[in-house]
Amino acid sequence: MYALALIRIFQAGLKSLRLHKLRSALTMLGMIIGVGAVIALVAIGEGASHDAQEEIRALGAKNVIIRSIKPPSMREQMHGDWESFFRRWMAFYGLKRTDATRIKDTVPGVSRVLPMLTKRMSAVHERREVGCQLIGTFPYYPEFTQAELVAGEFLNAAEENTKASACVISLSLAERLFAGHNPLAEEIVVRGYESEQVFQVKGILRERADTEKLPQLPDSMGQTIAANVYIPLSTFKSLYGERNVDRSVGNLVLEAVELSEIRVEFDTVEDVLPALPLIDEALKAGRDERDFEIVVPIQEMVALRNQKARDTRMLLYIACISLLVGGIGIMNIMLATVTERTQEIGVRRALGATRSNITIQFLVETLLLCLVGGAIGVSGGWAFSEFREFLTGDSTIVKAWSVIMAFGLSVVIGLVFGLYPARRAAHLDPIEALRHT
Amino acid sequence: MADRNIIEIRNLTKIYDLGAIQVPALNGLNFEIEEGSYTAIMGPSGSGKSTLLNILGCLDRPTAGAYILGNDDVAHMSDKELSGVRGARIGFIFQSYNLIQQLNVIENIHVPLFYQGKDISDYYDHCEKLAQKVGLGDRLDHRPMELSGGQQQRVAVARSLVNEPLMLLADEPTGNLDSTTEQEILDILDELHAEGRTLVVVTHDDAVAERASRVIHLKDGQVDKDIRKQDSDRKSENQFQEA
Ligand SMILES: Nc1ncnc2c1ncn2[C@@H]1O[C@H](COP(=O)(O)OP(=O)(O)OP(=O)(O)O)[C@@H](O)[C@H]1O
Ligand SMILES: [Mg+2]
Repeated sequence: MYALALIRIFQAGLKSLRLHKLRSALTMLGMIIGVGAVIALVAIGEGASHDAQEEIRALGAKNVIIRSIKPPSMREQMHGDWESFFRRWMAFYGLKRTDATRIKDTVPGVSRVLPMLTKRMSAVHERREVGCQLIGTFPYYPEFTQAELVAGEFLNAAEENTKASACVISLSLAERLFAGHNPLAEEIVVRGYESEQVFQVKGILRERADTEKLPQLPDSMGQTIAANVYIPLSTFKSLYGERNVDRSVGNLVLEAVELSEIRVEFDTVEDVLPALPLIDEALKAGRDERDFEIVVPIQEMVALRNQKARDTRMLLYIACISLLVGGIGIMNIMLATVTERTQEIGVRRALGATRSNITIQFLVETLLLCLVGGAIGVSGGWAFSEFREFLTGDSTIVKAWSVIMAFGLSVVIGLVFGLYPARRAAHLDPIEALRHT
Repeated sequence: MADRNIIEIRNLTKIYDLGAIQVPALNGLNFEIEEGSYTAIMGPSGSGKSTLLNILGCLDRPTAGAYILGNDDVAHMSDKELSGVRGARIGFIFQSYNLIQQLNVIENIHVPLFYQGKDISDYYDHCEKLAQKVGLGDRLDHRPMELSGGQQQRVAVARSLVNEPLMLLADEPTGNLDSTTEQEILDILDELHAEGRTLVVVTHDDAVAERASRVIHLKDGQVDKDIRKQDSDRKSENQFQEA
């Protein structure tokens, strides 16, 4: 019986709101925008952090990446003395193969170590030439990076042992270099400053993480793509020497790096963080300068999670403010409505409505504005999120909690901001109200 | 049946307290209204007619004095109790019809029942019968805006009857109507009187007063004249008009 009465009250509320459709719609607008913004902002933020987390996960939570970097002394300003000039001109620095073995031997929990050598080159096929990164590595590279083999096979141990001229190319490079036709078994020329080598394509690899787009080669659209050519590490060493010399002509700089990168894989995620000081220890031996950087995906994941928590809190503040503004707008209109409908209030009072009847009536109307506005806002924000994902391809994830929170908040705001106008309506003097025109 | 008093007021006083000044509107009224009577309240402007009707309708409380409605002293009831009395025992007819714009005819008629906790689905037939009684059986789903003034006032009359009230109170019920429509509404009121309902009508209009069985003249918040007509007089008038 009470339920039916409540339904009737809501029906009556809808009737009143329908009487002034435009006004009701405009009143709801603040709520719609507020709620829609919450849903959409949370979805965008959630999507962005999801993408970033995926990227880091693709790097491998069990992995630690050690990269060669120029040590501070080589980045210093020129002092004019020949020694510093020479150091800069012919810069020997970075990771060595002995580092890889030392880590493998001394750090507990390490299951595998993956050395990598990289070199900026360009790949040529027929008349096309695309800037690329040549990577010398071991056959287990794809497992390490969770890259996916799209076609053919990855390099194998036999090719490593025989220093074969086989290569695997990244998917985006394949698309650009071969433009439609099948690259498998085709030959590409890898051209450098002073060398040209022919490799046979035996596989196509799709890198999982954006961070694999190491060369950051700008393509015609100004975007960076992963244009990688993978060859056996042994082949790389025999072709380009024990030390990978990178010549940048314009700057007259020669850089010699033995290993560009070492990836360390641990047995379990738990082994990673305790092992970090030991890795540092292992690398410090035999160096006086820090010419490497350590990237720890698991640490970045934690940092990202914290960042996300901060962003989410910010979004919530913004959301609350916009909903508050919407609520004030609704209260404003409801106060005007109460004034406008003073006579109706008087009539209802004369016909037996108690103060609480009137309070409930106007509270329900406010609540309905908020509920309907909230519902439209939720669907609008949701639709926007889906549309954005469809349009940009960036993940946009509508979170259940944001829907519940936005909707719940609009209900709370409806109740809070509806109460004052409703009580004002209820406390009108029936006689005064009846006389009001 | 005419012996039973529906209303008894004793020394009824209403003083509007405006802070600086006190405006006396009713100065110690005493009278009874019997069940089934048709009372017209007349008097010059400012004599306290509306004030009296508001108190009789439990919309307002007297400053002093007693007001017995049925068997209850309603002079000192709480706001909530008064709402209940209005909803259950009193039928209001206003000068400006005062229908609720967003509701159709049948819903408007149902409003007093809603506040008695009676759902429209259970009382639809009852409301429809009242609409037919006032000649609007074919307009059930019309909104007030789609009705003429006379038709709106008929809806208001039907609405005033829906809760089977002890009495009907009307403040200038024909004040906004032309003379033909006025006759129609007054005929309906006559009909209700003939059915035995108790009516109290505030009016300036002698045409209204003529139909009443009793006319109370107010002056400066006091009863100036209280004229009871013979029931037979009124009946014959009525028959004369119908002829
Ligand atoms: N809310 C109020 N505050 C102060 N004084 C009031 C109020 N309502 C009525 N009065 C005064 O009470 C007196 C009686 O007013 P009331 O409205 O009852 O007269 P009335 O007989 O209905 O007049 P009319 O025929 O013009 O409707 C008047 O002097 C009026 O000024
Ligand atoms: Mg008056």
